[in-house]
Amino acid sequence: MTDSGFPFDEIVADSDPDRARLREAHDLLLAAGPPPELPPSLAALPPIPQAQVITLPRRRFTAIASIAASAVVLFGIGYAIGGRDSPQQPVRTVAMQGPAGATASLAVLPKDPAGNWPMTLEVSGLAALPKGKTYTLWLTRNGKLAESCGTFAVAAGTTTVPLNAPYPLKEYDGWVVVRTGTTQPFVLQTETA
Amino acid sequence: MDAVLTRPSPSCPEVETIARVSTSETSDATLIEQVAEQQREAFEELYGRYARPVLGLALRRLGDRGRAEDSVQEVFTAVWRSAGSYDRTRGPGVAWLYTIARNAIVDAQRRRHVPTMADPPEVVSTGPTPDEEAEASWNTWRIHRALETLPEHERTVIDLAYFSGLSQSEIAAFLQIPLGTVKTRTRSGLSRLADGLEGEL
Repeated sequence: MTDSGFPFDEIVADSDPDRARLREAHDLLLAAGPPPELPPSLAALPPIPQAQVITLPRRRFTAIASIAASAVVLFGIGYAIGGRDSPQQPVRTVAMQGPAGATASLAVLPKDPAGNWPMTLEVSGLAALPKGKTYTLWLTRNGKLAESCGTFAVAAGTTTVPLNAPYPLKEYDGWVVVRTGTTQPFVLQTETA
Repeated sequence: MDAVLTRPSPSCPEVETIARVSTSETSDATLIEQVAEQQREAFEELYGRYARPVLGLALRRLGDRGRAEDSVQEVFTAVWRSAGSYDRTRGPGVAWLYTIARNAIVDAQRRRHVPTMADPPEVVSTGPTPDEEAEASWNTWRIHRALETLPEHERTVIDLAYFSGLSQSEIAAFLQIPLGTVKTRTRSGLSRLADGLEGEL
């Protein structure tokens, strides 16, 4: 028996090649003591927190809006002076086509620290929908709708909309666009789904 | 002995609660990434693995069972909201979760403005230094997390041997299994714990 009361030497022989690492586990167990038992109130998963809507104080909102407006103006000046380069170049640009002749270009921008892939969808030739109706861009897996990347409306000509994919893109095999609330038909889809 | 021992009995099924032993092979890192995608199943799995280590950490920091239990939910709220910040290239999931849990507990402690065991002592202490306390806290977190990886039959003998003070013979009699089986399971459990500690889960 050791001084801890646990017969480590009986369980693990001196010649045991794993003795050192088993000893570390043994020592940590003795030092840590037992983990606490969960009370019934914690036996079940607590409610998943809902997204918070943060209402800014009016005065602070005005200040932030003012700063944002200034930033836009400064960006415009810089854009005019410095050239036409976007501050963020796409890491990937994907072409999409629809059976009725619609086309789109989906520019995927660098992932942000939170795991979002900001995207810009430039779409032409899609039919404008009645007021209140939208299209949805989906990521697909095995050719089936998997995760929504946002909804958008279109007007005549070309429409450019910012969208977002907060998902690991490598787990999916393409994008499609459908009318919101439907799963078919694909009015736009990537060629390599 | 603190605990009242109850022999496991097939005729007396355990109350259905969070699984004591995780059976999933999914790594903590992958689960955190899935939580970042708001996958509830991954969140449940993480909760099953970490609820007791989190409660243990909160108990050590706060020194009050009621407040420690309250803080468990706050920790998992923080995990849900912060999972997107996890980057597996910067370290294992067990370390990220420890940091999130510790910070959430400290934040909760500050919000309540209640002095706790973790507050700086007003007199010169002869106990462990802050560094030693931090290391002990981290090691306790790691071993408690590793315990959750053990199969039930190994976990039982480890619990009885280390935390209930039973000898190997007493464990054999209590569980009605051969002494050799107790020793085999104990060694196997220690080996699995060592694996978990080395791999950092």
